[in-house]
Amino acid sequence: MSGPELPRPAEGAAPDEGFLRQGGRGLLFTLYGALRSLKLYPVENAAVQKALDELQAAARTLLQAEDAIELRLSGDFIFVNATRLRLELDNYAYFSHIVTILRDYDIGILRAERGVERREWQIFLSLLLSLSGKERGVPRFLELQERLGAAGVAHLHLEPRTEVEEELDREHAKEVAKRTYAQGVAVTKDVINSVRMGRATGLKRVKRAVQTIVDQVLNNETSIIGLTTIRDYDEYTFTHSVNVCIFAVALGKRLGLTKSQLYDLGTAALLHDVGKARIPVEVLNKTSALDEGEWRVMQAHPWLGALTLFGMRGYDELPYRAILVAHEHHMKADLSGYPRTIRPRRPSFYSRLVAVADGFDAATTRRSYQSIPIEPDQVLREMWENESRGYERVLVKALINLIGVYPVGTCVILDTFEVGIVAAANPDQKFLHRPLVRIAIGADGGMLPKPGQLVNLAEQSAEGAFLRSIVKVTNPDRYGLVVGDYFV
Amino acid sequence: MSGTSATVLPPSQVEELIRTLVKALRAFQMYLPNNPIYQRAMGNVAAAFAPIWAATDELVLGVLESEFHWEGQVVYQQIARNESLAWTLYKDGMRALTFRKGVEREEIVRFLELVNRARLLPPDASDDLLTLLWEHDFQYLTYQFVEPLLDGPPLEAASTAPAPSAGVVQRKVQEEVEAERRRPGVVDLEEFESTLYFLDEREIAYLGEELVKEYAQDLRGNALAVLYDLFELQTDPAIRSEILGILDSVFPYLLNARDFRAVGGLLRELRVLRQRASALAPDQAAQLDGFAERLSSPAVLSQLLQTIDDATLPPSEQDLGDLFRELRPAALERLLVWLPTVSAERIRDVARAACERLADAHPGEIMRLLRQPGSAALPGALELCARLKLQGAIPALAELLGHADPQVRLGAVQALGAIGSPGALSHLARAIDDPHRDVRLAAVRQAGAHGYKGALRRIEAVVLRRDLKDADLTEKMAFFEAYGSIVGAAGLPALVALLAPRGGLLRLKQSPELRACAAIAIGKIRTPEARAALQAAMNDKELVVRNAASRALREMGR
Repeated sequence: MSGPELPRPAEGAAPDEGFLRQGGRGLLFTLYGALRSLKLYPVENAAVQKALDELQAAARTLLQAEDAIELRLSGDFIFVNATRLRLELDNYAYFSHIVTILRDYDIGILRAERGVERREWQIFLSLLLSLSGKERGVPRFLELQERLGAAGVAHLHLEPRTEVEEELDREHAKEVAKRTYAQGVAVTKDVINSVRMGRATGLKRVKRAVQTIVDQVLNNETSIIGLTTIRDYDEYTFTHSVNVCIFAVALGKRLGLTKSQLYDLGTAALLHDVGKARIPVEVLNKTSALDEGEWRVMQAHPWLGALTLFGMRGYDELPYRAILVAHEHHMKADLSGYPRTIRPRRPSFYSRLVAVADGFDAATTRRSYQSIPIEPDQVLREMWENESRGYERVLVKALINLIGVYPVGTCVILDTFEVGIVAAANPDQKFLHRPLVRIAIGADGGMLPKPGQLVNLAEQSAEGAFLRSIVKVTNPDRYGLVVGDYFV
Repeated sequence: MSGTSATVLPPSQVEELIRTLVKALRAFQMYLPNNPIYQRAMGNVAAAFAPIWAATDELVLGVLESEFHWEGQVVYQQIARNESLAWTLYKDGMRALTFRKGVEREEIVRFLELVNRARLLPPDASDDLLTLLWEHDFQYLTYQFVEPLLDGPPLEAASTAPAPSAGVVQRKVQEEVEAERRRPGVVDLEEFESTLYFLDEREIAYLGEELVKEYAQDLRGNALAVLYDLFELQTDPAIRSEILGILDSVFPYLLNARDFRAVGGLLRELRVLRQRASALAPDQAAQLDGFAERLSSPAVLSQLLQTIDDATLPPSEQDLGDLFRELRPAALERLLVWLPTVSAERIRDVARAACERLADAHPGEIMRLLRQPGSAALPGALELCARLKLQGAIPALAELLGHADPQVRLGAVQALGAIGSPGALSHLARAIDDPHRDVRLAAVRQAGAHGYKGALRRIEAVVLRRDLKDADLTEKMAFFEAYGSIVGAAGLPALVALLAPRGGLLRLKQSPELRACAAIAIGKIRTPEARAALQAAMNDKELVVRNAASRALREMGR
């Protein structure tokens, strides 16, 4: 197993960000490799020894330039000292593995100091593996820390994740997420209304809104995804566009897209339905079923969107990628669906990705011609199992991977007779079917004050039994619950 | 920043830093990075940070309309907005700017360059300072900003109807749970398909490939294809008119972007649309035609050719060929003028092919050019006539034999020679008497090459009357060769007489040069008698004659 080639700063020179980023990735990669080798083979095995050598070498390279290396877990990110590591397709697996382990042990910071020995890494990793078999509920962080001390590990230090800090961060993040969401909706509204009224509209505000959404998804994905459950905030087209943007960017993040790629994707997603600005309002907002003629009008929105975006021309390049996504987001991979094309081409990757985000949000939302939204888990199941829907399966799988088997906003009844709203997918991917849930109604049928009590369905008793499990998904209306309230 | 930092770090130091930044901003605006002044400004900025970092790891500046604040006091002020750094940041929404230790290494330069870029942006550009900063993902520089006023309600929890009583809710929950437990074949949630939890390596690799394809695709071409499809599929004249309007505005942009492939593609597709689009209104059909016609007009085409000349990376033959293929006859003149100036051979070949296509398809355009005696395209047009052997051009070419410029006359001779029909050669023969040596030479060679008997009288007169005394050897040779080629065995006696050491009618002594020319001419006759005469000349005492005879014999033997 060979890690990425590590650059070395010139002698005496301060390390730059690229050095830390690449070196940090190397460290993570070798850490993962050593952990995997130790899991598979006894410590004396040559593969383990080699993996430990590589880990030690990666750490030494960084420590030649820095006094200490701090691997810090913040949200879904890992920072190496002050540098945030980028999640990319080629580091996706080991990145998420390390994140999961740090979370499992409640490790906020792992600090390696100059002088760290290969033996110390070996002890640390062996402890991580041996303690992972222990039952949940025991404070493993403290035990790990104690045992490291007892084994004479002097150059590796751990700091826990503090709950108070996390709660404060969460509250602040929620506020920022709300502002971001509202800004996204306002910008979409501005664009669509401008098109409706034949006014020129620039892309600067769109750009800023998308950049902010990308930042939110990168730094605080849970809060911003939670806001996609708000269904009655403003006209459907506006909130739907923002929701699709959020889902698409989050999905892109999960697939390892870079920040600028996420921006491209987010812009295309936010503008994917801009053609609806040119659909007569009486058709767009019709509450009863659309007749054939009205459907035909409705089905024009992708190509009307493409034409509209061709008109959004400032001093820069036309938004070609957004044009394609607007045009193709209802096309299926085999070019069935709509609109019809003559010149053969496959819908672009971003179009297929936005189609998945669009399909999920549209089906789970109450809108003018769909008065009863479908429960999110059923939507996912339909998207996954019914191939005639034309969604790209691997992207649906990635969506499930992102939002869990029970997507955010799903109303669930637990075996404790509590009713809750899914707040986030479980960060531990082993428990995608055991999300984080906000209990809205207690076992006695009493309503809890909003935003309810947050519980992790992966929590187990000392005997290893899960404390709570989902019995079924239910309709929140039955219990007078407004899902969005639990996210604002 | 703690309050104690002010005691360690005097405000004057912060002021000095901002002053240095402002100066650097000016230097970066005026000089290129390799300029010593630019370099010095960079050094000054780094130096100005040193005392700051000696006192603190982080410097937080408040940004107001015309001033910077630090620790609650104004540390730098610029009233004139057009020069004010604070205003540049403030107007795009920035309200606080934080520098962290390390910013001086490279990020500060990038930051100042972006500030300069933002200053130059027009108000309706799709970027501002904040969007530019975002793209650069700074690590040691952070900022806080405000958004323009939002038009929308704040996000608040919805007011809900009164909740049902706890007892009712509890009963409903229990009913639902019981119903679920009674349902046969309910899938155990723990058994939910576990493969969904992870993307396997093959899937990750596939997605990686798709991402690469997303960015490798011809975005512009694909987006334009949407318009072409729509034009065909939507018969509504208003929609078609909108599409034509879009194409009209995109067209110069494509030219400006030097996207020759897209321009070629666009013209090709418009031609296809012209043929395929049903229920096409006449004015829209004319509009479709108009694109290629506009591009073919000399003024627009000149711009296009200029961009090809200026392109750092010249277009591919394929792209350029596709583009030139769509040009209309009006483009021919400008292309012909441009052609000799092109240094890249592959581009010249493509342009030449385009000219040939246009001339072949539109001979009238060539005739028009040939009848413009002052046209700079005339030499090119003559070359085309020669390459394409344009019979229809003969009358115009004949007229050009009287052109004042010997180069034009020469071109006309070559073209007539290349056409090679009796009609062409009859005109060409006139040029044997042309006052310019090169024209005569070309004419006589062409006449000889074609064995054109109509020219015999003119050539014979020159050869036998020895009117060539002022001519150089090349011209003499050409006349004699042509004479030999045309006259055949009938001319042998006269030539043998010239070849003899004392030949000619009056048995005058001929110059060795002229005798050598006669040998060459005899070589063209190719009869046994001619061969015998040449063999006899192999013993001539003049080396030049022996060599000519030898060469002629070699050629005869072939």
